[in-house]
Amino acid sequence: MTYNAGTISRSAYALRQREEFGRRCLAVLPIYYPKELLTAFDILTMELWGPPGAPCGDAAGRIQTYVCAVARNAIAFLQSGKAEVVDGVLIPHTCDSLQGLAALLMDFGGWSKKVFVFQHPRGVGRASAKACLEQELRALAGELEEWTGKRLDPERLTWALALHRKIEAYRATLLDQRELCPLNEVELYALLRRGEWLWPEEHLEELRRAVQGLAPVPVQKGIPIMVTGYLPEPSGLLAALTDAGAYIAGDDYAAVGRRVGREANGAPADPWTGLTERYFAVAPCPTRNVVTGNRMQYLESLAKSSGARGVLVHVQKFCEPELFDIPGIRKLFAASGIPVLVVEGELELAISGQTETRLAAFIEMLRTAGRPS
Amino acid sequence: MSVVALGIDVGSTTCKAVAVDGQGCILARRLEPANPRIEQQAERILQELRAETGSAPPVGATGYGRKRVAASRVLTEITCHARGAFALTHRPGVLVDIGGQDTKVIQIGGNGEVLDFTMNDKCAAGTGRFLETILARLAVPLSEAAEYASRASHPILVSSTCTVFAESEVISMVAAGEPLEGIVKGLHTALASRVSSLTRARAGGEIFMSGGVALNAAMVVALSESLGKPVLVMPDAQFVGAIGAALYAMA
Amino acid sequence: MILRRLQYEMAGHAGLALIRFQDWQKARSRNKGKGKGKPSLFGPPLECLGKLKEMMSLHYLQGRYADGAVPVAWVTSGFPVEILRPLGFHTLYPENHAAMCGALRLVPQLSDSAEQEGYSRDLCSYARTDFGCGLLHTTPVGRLPKPDLLACSNNICQTVLYWYKALAAHYNVPLVLIDTPFVYGEAKPHHVQYVRTQLEELVSVAERVSGRRMNYDELSAIMVRSREGSRLWGECLAKAKAKPAPWTGIDGFFHMGPIVALRGSEECNAYYRMLRDELQDRVNRGIGGILNEKHRLLWDNLPMWFATREISTLLAERGFSFACTSYTNAWAEAAGKISPADPIGSAAHACMHIILNQDLCNRLGILTRLARDYSCDGAVLHSDRSCKPYSVGQIDLKERLTKEMGLKVLLLESDHNDPRSWASEPGANRLSAFMESFA
Repeated sequence: MTYNAGTISRSAYALRQREEFGRRCLAVLPIYYPKELLTAFDILTMELWGPPGAPCGDAAGRIQTYVCAVARNAIAFLQSGKAEVVDGVLIPHTCDSLQGLAALLMDFGGWSKKVFVFQHPRGVGRASAKACLEQELRALAGELEEWTGKRLDPERLTWALALHRKIEAYRATLLDQRELCPLNEVELYALLRRGEWLWPEEHLEELRRAVQGLAPVPVQKGIPIMVTGYLPEPSGLLAALTDAGAYIAGDDYAAVGRRVGREANGAPADPWTGLTERYFAVAPCPTRNVVTGNRMQYLESLAKSSGARGVLVHVQKFCEPELFDIPGIRKLFAASGIPVLVVEGELELAISGQTETRLAAFIEMLRTAGRPS
Repeated sequence: MSVVALGIDVGSTTCKAVAVDGQGCILARRLEPANPRIEQQAERILQELRAETGSAPPVGATGYGRKRVAASRVLTEITCHARGAFALTHRPGVLVDIGGQDTKVIQIGGNGEVLDFTMNDKCAAGTGRFLETILARLAVPLSEAAEYASRASHPILVSSTCTVFAESEVISMVAAGEPLEGIVKGLHTALASRVSSLTRARAGGEIFMSGGVALNAAMVVALSESLGKPVLVMPDAQFVGAIGAALYAMA
Repeated sequence: MILRRLQYEMAGHAGLALIRFQDWQKARSRNKGKGKGKPSLFGPPLECLGKLKEMMSLHYLQGRYADGAVPVAWVTSGFPVEILRPLGFHTLYPENHAAMCGALRLVPQLSDSAEQEGYSRDLCSYARTDFGCGLLHTTPVGRLPKPDLLACSNNICQTVLYWYKALAAHYNVPLVLIDTPFVYGEAKPHHVQYVRTQLEELVSVAERVSGRRMNYDELSAIMVRSREGSRLWGECLAKAKAKPAPWTGIDGFFHMGPIVALRGSEECNAYYRMLRDELQDRVNRGIGGILNEKHRLLWDNLPMWFATREISTLLAERGFSFACTSYTNAWAEAAGKISPADPIGSAAHACMHIILNQDLCNRLGILTRLARDYSCDGAVLHSDRSCKPYSVGQIDLKERLTKEMGLKVLLLESDHNDPRSWASEPGANRLSAFMESFA
């Protein structure tokens, strides 16, 4: 399943959504954005992770080569005209690179349609951050009202929150009970990643079917590993893991497991409170948090609960938030004797022979380590 | 001949194959530049070994092109190098394998198992290609590199991390009249320092060296100096992976 | 006696970089080296450089004895440090310290130890330098005081969050964050309120760590001095509008120390008065920073700390120098934003509105204004691979400066602290070709 095929079907899908349902489409850069709010406005969101591959077109060199491919490819893609099907773009303030991407588009052009920014606060647990976030969400809602010409109905927001909670619950089940799921890595992640662009109600349906398809006993027999990183791309990496006889038992991909909402205390009555609190109900992420201990504790407990025998750190080149945490992750798992492999991607379309060898060698190593001597 | 297995290491620069006995001792061997037609080359070489030894034992395959070989056991060169080195040393340690396009550092455990490994990432500057390219530019044959380096009173250090920039830096040095011997020694020092930083504080173990570059005495010296400890070159340095593959085929 | 002992200490440590700089300046004003009889390229070294060296050395010397004696805060360069001063904190700037290591060409070795630890070479070279010093327990200034508090504002970049997070884990001390939302266009009211609230929280945390209560009168007085310091720094920079400019933008990088690290102090202001007067004297006497000024350039982004001499010389040989830089200018901008009557509110406003926390329209405006006010006919945009917030957008900025102002602009790829990312020969060639294009 190459990206190109996906892109074409995504465009066609967005067009169909507009024709059949009158839905606008917003391209969204990663990672954290109030999808529930956009759903409440009946806006289809299509996440833009790149796209992978070399950036093409006039804007291919508009951002320097030492900046991560998500930002570089996104500006080339948007400016190339290939994103005509979307009506606007939303850029969260995830990092310096996306900060610059938004500034370029808003100030110096190349994209004639609307640009929204979503500036989530850093540092969790502070009342000031919560208050700011709520205001930010309300301000965004105001901009969306102006853009769509529709007032936001609070009941619609409540409905959207309930819908996305159900989705997250199914996603959590599939990830937490991975060994019961008969899908291989490529299939499972293709399913989970369709959540990046399908209309949520459709995604809910396919998730429901997948959960119904869970086996009563473990069916995944390979070596369980934990993955932490940004994005499970290319799918060739997932295929290589399967070939080598491993499966992802613990997922801390920012695109997937890390941002699954897990609200401890159930849904607050007020939708705005609910929307705000959901932002804080995800796993620690270096793009938002400033306490290392929280992330390390979380990774340790995920490795334990998933039974992972090894940890794969799948980082994107130049991704500072992820790269800064690598020494800490190495130390953490060295202490508990769990081997760590770091693989650096560049949003390439296919993994290199060397990466494939490393993955295979890592799994071979885990297999031997697991045997009694 | 008591040939128990064949092992083939289909690398990106060279293809190596061995016929071994039960202890992993080499009874026959082949080494050729790698041919893009991997299946044909591999099959021909294995056939030659079968003919030479009058045997048709199980085959283990490793290396870049391992999946294209008809073999009973297929494993990565990391795993096979560890096994092969262990068969030669019978003890744990750290194996440094500097190949033409690839450099591996493997921590080997007490049973010949892989405890940890790193590989140089994408860049030619940490591999044999670095030396090859620049020495060619200086018209110093690779076979004479060790001799040149040994004649130098001190290394003339290159600061560029990139092979391309290092090459132009070296040209400037030659133009400025710096002694060729010192430059050659400096190139070895540069490669050694890149390789030793791959070892990442795994210096607790004994250091072994394999791969084509291990045949360059100046490189062995440079690596030893960089790590601050002696380096033991594997006998049959280029065949370590193939030996390991053969041993795995036996199991 | 004490001063002499201090000077002795200085020679070995913090003053080293500046002493070398001074020696170089002395040397360049003499006929020296291969070209005997060849005239010097540069004007005489600034007299006040000795005083600068002393001040910064004293600051680092004091630091050696600070921990245990006074509360110590490690601070990011854009942090509203004025708020910490009334509470008696000794402040240390890891960025300033890292820059010193960069100028002393210590970074490859320091970064190597950080890389051995697992930090990627693609990370900010200031952070790698800092981690390296920590891992090797080494510093050119003798000893750095351990922090009691880490004070981080991401107005300059998000990288400091990741960097200071690691420091907090390592030193096991509180980290106080002033999260400043980026300003796209106009600052949003709820963002300003957020920053204000965080500053109020900062006061509580800092009071707790220092064991003192905030004295708001003293804070206002410090803000007055800070504003004055920024204004004086701006005056010093503005002297370079004269033709020939009495000092170069690269000189400016070295004189930035006080406004960054000693901002809010009377000695900082006294120094810039002295510097301003000396520069004015040079203007009166027509003494230039370089002797044969033909072309005036703007420098954008951080300097290449390890190559300032190399680049100054290369340029001066052909009569080129930097009349202004967006980086040094940044510390002059605060003056207009500080209002001592509302210290918390104006600190919020000031730290949100620094150049790196505002959009590209604002950036272009600053570059355009500098180029015009300083009569520049060209610009070098340092495409600093370690500094994404400063570098992303430069390709567009280059085009616009060329089109809108008719400037000749060079985009120069390098790094601010790691010489391994500067390809010296190809880089020098590009600068030479650029200068030839002015003929």
